[in-house]
Amino acid sequence: MTLPLHVRDCVVRNRGGRVLVNVPHLDLLPGASLGIRGPSGAGKSTFLYALAGLLEGMDGEVHWGDTDLLTMSSARRASFRAANIGMIFQDFLLFEELDAAANASLAAMYLPKARRTGVKTRAMAQLAHLGLDASARSVASYSGGERQRVAIARALANEATILLADEPTASLDRAAADALIEDLVNRVRDHGTTLIAVSHDARLLDRMDRVLGLEDGQVAAGALP
Amino acid sequence: MMDLWDSLSALMQDIVLTVALLLPALILWRLVLRGFAPRPLIGALLWRFRWANALFVLLIAVSVGMGLGLLAQERGLREGTARAADKFDLVVTAPGSEITMMLATVYLQPSDVPLLDGATYQAIAAHKNVSIAAPLAFGDSFGASSVVGTTAEFVQHLSDGKIEGRLWESTAEAVIGARTPLQIGDAFEPAHGVGDAAEHDAHDADLTVVGRIGYTGTPWDRAVLVPIETIWEVHGLASGHAPGRSDQIGPPFDPDYFPGTPAIVVRADAMWANYALRSEFTRDAQTMAFFPGAVLSNLHRLMGDIRQAMSLMSLVTQCLVAASVLLGLFILSRLFMRQMALLRALGAPARFVFAVLWSYCTTLLVAGSVLGLGLGWITAMVLSRIISARTDILISARLSWTEFHYLAGFVSLMTLLSLLPALAVLRKPIVDGLRG
Repeated sequence: MTLPLHVRDCVVRNRGGRVLVNVPHLDLLPGASLGIRGPSGAGKSTFLYALAGLLEGMDGEVHWGDTDLLTMSSARRASFRAANIGMIFQDFLLFEELDAAANASLAAMYLPKARRTGVKTRAMAQLAHLGLDASARSVASYSGGERQRVAIARALANEATILLADEPTASLDRAAADALIEDLVNRVRDHGTTLIAVSHDARLLDRMDRVLGLEDGQVAAGALP
Repeated sequence: MMDLWDSLSALMQDIVLTVALLLPALILWRLVLRGFAPRPLIGALLWRFRWANALFVLLIAVSVGMGLGLLAQERGLREGTARAADKFDLVVTAPGSEITMMLATVYLQPSDVPLLDGATYQAIAAHKNVSIAAPLAFGDSFGASSVVGTTAEFVQHLSDGKIEGRLWESTAEAVIGARTPLQIGDAFEPAHGVGDAAEHDAHDADLTVVGRIGYTGTPWDRAVLVPIETIWEVHGLASGHAPGRSDQIGPPFDPDYFPGTPAIVVRADAMWANYALRSEFTRDAQTMAFFPGAVLSNLHRLMGDIRQAMSLMSLVTQCLVAASVLLGLFILSRLFMRQMALLRALGAPARFVFAVLWSYCTTLLVAGSVLGLGLGWITAMVLSRIISARTDILISARLSWTEFHYLAGFVSLMTLLSLLPALAVLRKPIVDGLRG
């Protein structure tokens, strides 16, 4: 089930107490797509990590549906991510020694036995859908675009309803980036998945329902349409 | 509980002890990996750092192998020296050092020692509980082989009757040990003395080899055995027999014509009789009777402290090597901090990440230990061959349950210590790990 996002007074500080991100208010409907843009160091990725529940010691509220991530233990947040969130990173973060299928079905290694087959089946289906063969060669031999597709298949193999992407096209050439944007957006539209993507890529941001601008950790004036 | 333990066979006790020592590692393995299937990931990490991993495994293997090899060797040496003394139940010599006399008689390391006279020999040989009383006369040599004068009966006893060819029938004939560098039919001239000080032309005697005894795994395998009358004869002494019987070979000897013998090996007809004979023939200023086995066991007991120190040092060395390896793994684990952070970002439970790292460390430790077991076996075998070649004492150092217990304890201890680098990785914030 796709979850709505409600963020209230979300403040992330560094160890010295300096405010890195301050987002007073953000609501996102289930199945919507949100781009986050801003100059380097504006706190875009930090905010994305905050939405994934990867940061400790934050203030405010980050609600996914009825779940307030900030009041949960790190173990329960991990469990929430495993059940609901798929993450995509700029440099793919794949296990180079494993093949595409093993990377895409990574979650099968730590999920309960009963769910492993489902994850593996969905991983294979996602790979096929994204035009990748599930051959036994390691992903080290794949191109950047292919690797990012494997990462998308990994993010979706566990039926994630929320996709959080951190600069998903930054390591790809234009053609590969455009193809990936197409895949990502279609996938989100077809399945009603919520997508939040941090990016400098105007073409990706153009395809988002909404775009949030961040500057020096603060929401840029008039950034939310 | 102790009764139950005592009721188990020795093999069962060893198995139970090995399992008990491995139990902490097995429980840990079960607890840490329960509900997960991380094998492909562990394989990926092992493969990614294969050269560093191979080096770690090798370091552990060498330290474990050397420790096990030395322990096995030390035990093999004890067993080998004890086995070499098996045929020497009781030895009677002139009073002096039991160790010197044991080295001379059992291990053929001759020394200048006083002789026992004919009356003493007669008293021993005629004793009602004595079944064999064999005089041993040493001091001559052929090359590196000691030439020992004795009786045919002792040769039979020493070889358990396994003799190729035949026993001597005259003082010009000799029987050789299995590894003596002579052949049946060869003629040779014994030298007076042994080693560099041997006088090669001192004896005008040509002896012919007529028999070869079976392999005993003792220094006697390189000896040349001759009738004791031959030794007396080449030294210009009486023949041990009254005139008119001077062609006789072997007992009985005539005390009046008995030139003397450095040692007499005594075999009693019953075990208990050995003790009676020992006290009977231990006479101040006249004779000394001792059990080579008991002298050896005293020596081993004295060396027991050294053995324990050696075991401890070997264990400490192994733990230090393993600790260095763990430190290496700790440093290495920082290289895949990003992958671990990724797993946690994807929602993997902390225990899964912990299980991957712990299994990775444990795989290296177990692989090193198993390889070390093989290396220990090879080390023990090579050392055994070298020592056997040098001493002629058959050392068959095999890995025994002691080594398995030792290894099981080591593996358990190190798997527990492997928890530390795994825990250290979990302490790093996920986002710091993701950013590399």
